[in-house]
Amino acid sequence: MSLVCRHLHFAYNGNPVLTDVNLEIGRGEFCALLGRNGSGKTTLIYCLAGLLRPQRGTVAIDALDLLRTPRATVARQVSLVPQEHTAIFPFRVIDVVVMGRTAALGFLQRPGPDDYREARRVLAELEAEPLAERNFNRISGGERRIALLARAILQAQDTLLLDEPTNHLDFNNQYRLLEIIKGLCEKKGTRVVASLHDPNLAARFADTVVMLCEGRVLAGGKAGLVMTAPMVSRLYETAARRVETQDGLAFFIPCHPGGQSSVPETGDARQNRWT
Amino acid sequence: MRTAPPSNISWNPAARAARLNAGLAVGLVAVLGLSLWIGWVPIAPDELGAIVRAWLGNGADDDIRGKALVFGLVRIPRALLTILVGMGLSAAGAVYQGLFRNPLVSPDILGVSAGATFGAALGLLVAGSSWLVVQSLAFAFGLAAVGMALLIARVVAVRPMLVLVLAGLVVLSVFNSSITLLKYLSDPYNELPAIVFWMMGSMSRGQWGDLFIAAPIMGGSLILIHLMRYKLNILSLGDLQARSLGLNPMVYRLVFIFLGSMVVSVSVAVCGQVCWIGLVIPHIARTLVGPNHEQMLPVAVLSGGIFLLLADTAARSLTMAELPISVVTAFIGAPLFAYLLYRNRGSGWS
Repeated sequence: MSLVCRHLHFAYNGNPVLTDVNLEIGRGEFCALLGRNGSGKTTLIYCLAGLLRPQRGTVAIDALDLLRTPRATVARQVSLVPQEHTAIFPFRVIDVVVMGRTAALGFLQRPGPDDYREARRVLAELEAEPLAERNFNRISGGERRIALLARAILQAQDTLLLDEPTNHLDFNNQYRLLEIIKGLCEKKGTRVVASLHDPNLAARFADTVVMLCEGRVLAGGKAGLVMTAPMVSRLYETAARRVETQDGLAFFIPCHPGGQSSVPETGDARQNRWT
Repeated sequence: MRTAPPSNISWNPAARAARLNAGLAVGLVAVLGLSLWIGWVPIAPDELGAIVRAWLGNGADDDIRGKALVFGLVRIPRALLTILVGMGLSAAGAVYQGLFRNPLVSPDILGVSAGATFGAALGLLVAGSSWLVVQSLAFAFGLAAVGMALLIARVVAVRPMLVLVLAGLVVLSVFNSSITLLKYLSDPYNELPAIVFWMMGSMSRGQWGDLFIAAPIMGGSLILIHLMRYKLNILSLGDLQARSLGLNPMVYRLVFIFLGSMVVSVSVAVCGQVCWIGLVIPHIARTLVGPNHEQMLPVAVLSGGIFLLLADTAARSLTMAELPISVVTAFIGAPLFAYLLYRNRGSGWS
């Protein structure tokens, strides 16, 4: 039971974004995608969801080829929490969550009372039941994120893809959300792939880490092995050091915040870009 | 993420919509009764029995027989057709607004109405006076216009919805210019007035024959739209979200566009262009029961029937000469729309 992606190549209009990406993520595994802005994290997540069609390569969960299977079948296995989402129409949160049942509905079918009951149960599990009746467009960014997570959990619990799930979340809510997701991995065997911007969150929560640099896998493997000061420094192109607290938690801190790597590894044009 | 205080307006849209629909259905019957009763030929309620007897062939005086004709051949088919067109245009409006993810879209966006109007104008010029030819051409060109818009969008094949809107704009302007050209080329004493009056829209041409052709097409499309309405929620999120949730947006979009275009083409063929219904009624429905198409669509359909029947009754009985129905719908619809925009300010539309 592994999500396997082999020799993945993806280009937008001829500009390569992903080059020869190979991944294998087992059940119940929390995999964090790290990389600078524009390194291809979002594109990789959309490829893994089968929503973008790579020019070359395969994405499959065991025998299920995610690129050639009908969407409804894929969506019952793989759910996605997108980075930004507002609806055009001011739906209630519960209506947004129930949309997770779409893949299970037939051509003329509509969600019934059971689907709404399930949706409320998932919201309750996430301690977000009071949101149910509120206008999705008027709740806070963090509440929206929770509602979308509820929708994704209702949709599929085999594989959960999260595109920068901690965006717009406050200091504590980042931890709360990741604790919940970690709980899904441990209790329900959900496979999680999440792109994160904070290497400290990755070091704390992820089982495995994949470092993306300019669309290539710079390093990948057990978090404990990959998350070293030299690798983090290389990934973000700025010197970083690893600090351990007394209770053994590791944190990465940039040596020259906002500055560039003391030893440029590749061409200078890439230094300190914002892309 | 913060557990917010429970919302103080906790309401169940489904229950509310069920109550509302029952009320609207009663209202529709009441308005139907009103519309059959009101008019320049006064029909007293106690004459109804005599009229029914006259239909059955029992002897009646000329006055009653005349009233029976007005009632049976004019008012009833006209009222039924008006309800059907009102329902159809509101449903089409709701469908297009959902598909195009824009509450300001009207069913004309892909050029259906313009195409159908062009077809009708062509029929009025070429075929002389046969209504069937005019209506068939209107229907055919309405569908052809949408087909062209879809084809252009398919050839371009990037950013599907945006390109579809632009393709609709292309088709719309081509057909509008063609209508202008036809008007310019037409005989200004007979054909031009015919085209102009036709374009203004009127239910006065509604007869049983129209109803027999329009009802199965419109009714069938409405039933399918009603059955599929939940999918509009998903489509209104955009293609990427819809696919991620497991819905193939292409298939559903084509089916919805086809059904919506059928409805609009038929109604333009039957009564010309009727504006504002497709834009305003879905809005009213949304303010009443929220944006979920499951509840909103039936409410829009019923309100559309009531609104257009009221408008038509006003159009034919307010003044000596009948007013064009679009004038009435616009006079009521436009201020109503402005009011709704004001009321919904800051409700989270982006």
